[in-house]
Amino acid sequence: MSIIKTNDVKKWFGDFQALKGISMEVQEGEVLVICGPSGSGKSTFIRCINRLEQHQEGEIIVDGIELTNDLKNIEAIRSEVGMVFQSFNLFPHLTVMQNITLAPIWVRKKSRSESEEKAMELLTRVGIPEQASKFPGQLSGGQQQRVAIARALAMEPKIMLFDEPTSALDPEMIKEVLDAMKELALSGMTMIVVTHEMGFAKEVADRVMLFDEGLMVEENTPTEFFDNPQNDRTKLFLSQIL
Amino acid sequence: MDLEYKKSIAWIRENLFSSIPSSILTVATSFFVLGFFRGLFGFAMASDKDWLSVLNNMQLYMVQAYPEEDFIRVWISVGLALVFAGMSIGLWKSTEESSLSDVFSKFLKVSLAFLFFTVVAPTFSSVTDNDGIIQTEESFPMETRLQLLIPSAIFVVVFFVLKNVKLNYKFNKSDLLCFYLAIPIVLLWIIKLPTIQLDSSNQRIIPDPLMPIADTTKIPWTIIFGLFLAFYFIGSRFKDSKNMKRTMSISWVLLPLFIFSWIFKKPEIDLPTILGQDIPIFIGIFLIGALTITFINNPIVEKYFSIYLGVLIAITGIALFISIPILLKSALLLLVLFTIVIPAVSSSAKGKRNLIIVWGVSLFTLSVLIRGGSSDTQIIVQQQSIFGGFSLTWLLAIFGTYVSFPLGVLLALGRNSKLPIVRLVCTGIIELTRSVPYITWLFFASVTMAVFLPEGVNFELVVRVLMVTAFFSGAYFAENIRGGLQSIPKGQYEAADAIGMSPFQKTSLIVMPQALRAIIPTLVSSAITAFKDSSLVTIIGLIDFLTIGKVIIGTQSIPVNFVGHDRENLLFIAFFYWIFTFTLSRRSMKVEKRLGLGER
Amino acid sequence: MKSALKYLLFFRNVVFLKWLSQIVFLAGFISIVLRYLGNASTNFASTNIAFSWDFLGETPGVSIAEGMYTLPVSGLQMLQVGMLNMLRITVTGIFAATILGTLLGIARLSKNYIVEKSATGILEIVRNVPLLVQILFFQALILTLPRLEVSEIGTYTFHASAKGLAFPWPNREPNAVLFMVYFVLVLYIANQIFKWRVRTLEKEGRETYPTLWAVVSFIVLVVIGWYGGFRVVGIIGLIAGFLSTGLESVPGIFYQILFSVITVFIGFRVTKRFIDSKKSEEAQGIYSDDDYFKIIFNVVIVVLLVFLFLTSFGASVSKFLVGDELTYKADWGLPQLFHGIENKLYWFPMHDVEIEKENVEMKKAEIINWVVEPGSKVEVGDKIADAYIIRKPNEEKIEYEIVAKYAGTIETLYLEEGKSLKVGEEFYEIQVTEGDPFTLSRPRIEQTGTTKFKRYSDDYGKKLSVGYFATWVGVVLYTAIFISEVVRAGIMAVAKGQSEAGLSLGFRRSALLRLIVIPQAIRVMLPPMGNQYLNLAKNTSLGIAVAFPEIVAVGQTLYNQEGQTLPVFIVWMIFYSTVSLTISSIINFYNRKLKIVER
Ligand SMILES: Nc1ncnc2c1ncn2[C@@H]1O[C@H](COP(=O)(O)OP(=O)(O)O)[C@@H](O)[C@H]1O
Ligand SMILES: [Mg+2]
Repeated sequence: MSIIKTNDVKKWFGDFQALKGISMEVQEGEVLVICGPSGSGKSTFIRCINRLEQHQEGEIIVDGIELTNDLKNIEAIRSEVGMVFQSFNLFPHLTVMQNITLAPIWVRKKSRSESEEKAMELLTRVGIPEQASKFPGQLSGGQQQRVAIARALAMEPKIMLFDEPTSALDPEMIKEVLDAMKELALSGMTMIVVTHEMGFAKEVADRVMLFDEGLMVEENTPTEFFDNPQNDRTKLFLSQIL
Repeated sequence: MDLEYKKSIAWIRENLFSSIPSSILTVATSFFVLGFFRGLFGFAMASDKDWLSVLNNMQLYMVQAYPEEDFIRVWISVGLALVFAGMSIGLWKSTEESSLSDVFSKFLKVSLAFLFFTVVAPTFSSVTDNDGIIQTEESFPMETRLQLLIPSAIFVVVFFVLKNVKLNYKFNKSDLLCFYLAIPIVLLWIIKLPTIQLDSSNQRIIPDPLMPIADTTKIPWTIIFGLFLAFYFIGSRFKDSKNMKRTMSISWVLLPLFIFSWIFKKPEIDLPTILGQDIPIFIGIFLIGALTITFINNPIVEKYFSIYLGVLIAITGIALFISIPILLKSALLLLVLFTIVIPAVSSSAKGKRNLIIVWGVSLFTLSVLIRGGSSDTQIIVQQQSIFGGFSLTWLLAIFGTYVSFPLGVLLALGRNSKLPIVRLVCTGIIELTRSVPYITWLFFASVTMAVFLPEGVNFELVVRVLMVTAFFSGAYFAENIRGGLQSIPKGQYEAADAIGMSPFQKTSLIVMPQALRAIIPTLVSSAITAFKDSSLVTIIGLIDFLTIGKVIIGTQSIPVNFVGHDRENLLFIAFFYWIFTFTLSRRSMKVEKRLGLGER
Repeated sequence: MKSALKYLLFFRNVVFLKWLSQIVFLAGFISIVLRYLGNASTNFASTNIAFSWDFLGETPGVSIAEGMYTLPVSGLQMLQVGMLNMLRITVTGIFAATILGTLLGIARLSKNYIVEKSATGILEIVRNVPLLVQILFFQALILTLPRLEVSEIGTYTFHASAKGLAFPWPNREPNAVLFMVYFVLVLYIANQIFKWRVRTLEKEGRETYPTLWAVVSFIVLVVIGWYGGFRVVGIIGLIAGFLSTGLESVPGIFYQILFSVITVFIGFRVTKRFIDSKKSEEAQGIYSDDDYFKIIFNVVIVVLLVFLFLTSFGASVSKFLVGDELTYKADWGLPQLFHGIENKLYWFPMHDVEIEKENVEMKKAEIINWVVEPGSKVEVGDKIADAYIIRKPNEEKIEYEIVAKYAGTIETLYLEEGKSLKVGEEFYEIQVTEGDPFTLSRPRIEQTGTTKFKRYSDDYGKKLSVGYFATWVGVVLYTAIFISEVVRAGIMAVAKGQSEAGLSLGFRRSALLRLIVIPQAIRVMLPPMGNQYLNLAKNTSLGIAVAFPEIVAVGQTLYNQEGQTLPVFIVWMIFYSTVSLTISSIINFYNRKLKIVER
């Protein structure tokens, strides 16, 4: 059954329409990659899914809960959806450990010791257990992004959203982040990933979508998408990026 | 030696005479600097200046009319502050070390300054006589100059040699600080200065007899210094204890409150009120909090917790506006604050126990402070308030900051809020408050505010001034804090939203800590400004440090005539303020550097 | 079913909660404000001092130590003197502090050791001592100067004493305003010439000497003006005269209605444009809750303003605008302003001449007979009338000759022979035909009145009172120190990378500073500089401690007379807000101008 379902989602910024009606479904455990030219509304769309942006028309249903103005629904959805940002957005005044345990302690109301145990486990999973007591400023970009992944996972989300997680990184660091994401995908997490890493899409994705000018112009399996694109705009996009 | 010489020549050429304009500037500036110092020394040494008008009035300067039989309270206040200082210096003991030659170079600087004085001080200075005619007189005869020149030159040479002998002793910087502090204490006993004495017909005996600088205060100062040392050593024993450091920081915040409400004030304690009102309130509120902590994990409680919190906030909101004991109001406020944080901390049994202890201690502290603060004082002075002179200056500066800081945080958050009405109102308050100068707000406090108070309610002038000061510096703090808030990237808010934090958690855990850290320097300079601005109360007739020197001493004629000696006093006042603000700003710069704020 | 549930759970709706909390907040805030206002009205009722603005029109009966009028005829005029005194310090202070602060800032960056250290020394001293203490100290310092002596009566070029400082000053003559308008015009023309030469330079690629052209034409025009050429701008005076008559003749209610209509019109336009922007094809007329709030807020503001304009507030504003002299007796208001320009800018300005003040305190003058009649031409020093001066203590009459101060044509004689007038009232009018716009006058020490009080004359040279001097020096020095920090930080912020880049492009040091460092540094410096100017303006209020009659001191005197503390407080607030707003708009204007250059 589908864990995310959107129906004709529209979104305006002032009098500029960023999303012009997006309808899609994501199944539980599925990895969906979204790509498309800059400014096509990819970020806006996935930010609508956890209410960082508010859509104005259409419906978004996450895990059976409709995203409305209802406070309880918003809270429920946010605690089920984790998000990783392009610019990491770690809290610079807290250590790595505090960054990860903050939400479990204050939002999930777990005890400190339990959360720290869990945090260590996550840090080990993303491969940087030794950095726990450092501050974000002391880490490399790749390490910071892996901390950000661990921070999102600490809330035990059912769904993870990634907004271009590797595009602010130096080439040699991209791999370590992608590896962490692959591992996550293999463990059965539902993921929506906005990325231009086509290797990742081919290898991990179950489905690939192309956004352009606020519309979803193509939706396909990775092999079909790359080898046999249907839409002209997809062809153009692929020719530019590959 | 030859190399040294060449080096200094090169230095001088590069830094003083690198080009012709530069050389001209060097000469001209030196001329002005020398002129300034000559003027200053000449002013200080002229025979028409009566520096005893400063020395003899030190008590007035510090505590104004505070009765002498209660002076022990003043000494306890000072002693507590210094004991705390000793303890803190010990706890945060520096790990840096200075070598012996560093110490000697300090002494060398002092002796150089003294040598500079003996060389530069003018022989003649101008004196205004009683008819307003200006004359010159010899105030620093050549013989005196020579007599002083020889020892100071010797000191300079000795310390110069000692400094350059490579002695390999190292001292801890904190230990050295204690040593330096001992110097003035020793000087208190040794140095003798004239003291005013009156003969049987109340005439001043001239020449005035010599006495140690602080004949009446040297014993208390020595005892306090002893305690300071003792606590310095105690503190350095505990320098690895995080808990001690945390306790110390909180104690610093509470110390002024205790001093002003209990020690300086000598509250009139009325036992029936305590038994019949304070203790029941304490027990009742304490129990509510403790029960909430204990049963927070009970599923039923958890389910209705937000309703409970809402009701509590509503009750407190109403309680603020009805006339009930002030202790009950503040205790309810504290209860609300605690209840908000309870769900986060109290899952394990140990956590709960700790929280109950913290809750009990803070509620108790609050009760004690409020009892002291709201009671009448038993110390009777003729003036409007027992605070006068420097104690009033301190009171204004510290309380102004205490109240205005939280207010500033609230106003800044309001102005930065996403809610348009809240934003409008807060912007209005901030801008209106800042639009007029502080002095007009002081006039508002002294003459206009009474109009707005309910009939029968009347505060002392000091309290009214504190109220407007809180608002005024609150508005300035708010603008600083808003600057800090704006420096926080949008991503921080989004990340906090994405992990499901509530607006309150977002503000208190993510936004405020970063904003405040970013603006520590501006906050310190605002606090310094508040300290300097406190001198304005002299215009509306409060008797602060400045008023004492400018108004009271300048018109003092019994038993000793000091009329017309306000320039000496103004210079002293300027120097006194300067010491405080200069030290404070230097300290804060060091702390800033340690936090690495300068780099951003 | 689903939507029904949506509505049932409205209390969990974030939009609902957002607005509910704000309405609760607003209600709480308004109730607190109302509560205190209520207290105020009960208190006024019980103390019999009703809140009123009447004191603005009444004669305060106190004198002011210095300023435009020393014996103000109305409360408003008294406040006006205070405001002008405050502005005098603020405007001159801003210029002086900027120059001094820039010098100090540069000195702090100097490679010269002693210059740098001295500048830092001054900084550390001035910054860490309360301004009030410094001002008091400067006062004490100047009070140690010798007092004025009888033997010193006479004229000087420069004089300092415990009464203050005095120095020569170009005194304004009847033609001065006209000349100043001309001067501004010349500045503009010179600027245009400069720009034109620069354009030619860019177009034709040859040296066109723009600076030389501008300076020479400026000097030539100023010289022509000084010898009478400035009269060409007299036409402005004629226009001002028409405007003033027109403004005065319209009844007040007209202005009230006019303002209301303008408000409604602007409010309607703004809201309409907002709604239209929502109606565009892309936006499809979707409104968020904040948009609705914006619209409602606009409407509320318009209604409030219209209400204000149509009630007594609007009546006072329009009275003010039509220059109701009966109410305020101050020379404020648009007609008065235009009238002033007209008088001074008329082709051949007229001037009111007072009885020449001798060093005797006189009360009245009585005309014995006029020597001239309307239409007769006079030269400076010609006799106009014989008169008696009536001296104060015992109405003693002394014979006295009134002579012309200016050359010109007599227009009107206001006083019949044998009648008397108080000193200061006009009794003839003259059209001035000649004379320089400014004449240099040197300070004069005089002795006035029966008390043999020695002082600097008001009419000769310029004097700075002790209060003015102490406040000015204190405020300027204090602000300059903070400005020096701003300048230093600004230069340091750009100096590093930018000057390396500039040097690598082959700029010389001076060109580098002028073209690269300073323009960028100014951009960094402007906003904090503006803050310092605001602080300076507010700090002038400390003049009250040294008896300098600026707005706060004057206000205090006034409410000590009349007991109206709240209105005076409101006047303070409005005045300071206006000054602050003006300063920050000027700063913002330049800021924006520089930003455009940046793009
Ligand atoms: N907060 C905002 N205000 C106004 N316009 C925005 C905002 N955020 C995004 N947009 C606009 O919406 C469009 C889609 O942006 P985005 O979703 O970030 O694109 P992508 O992530 O595909 O590059 C862009 O044209 C962008 O300019
Ligand atoms: Mg994007």
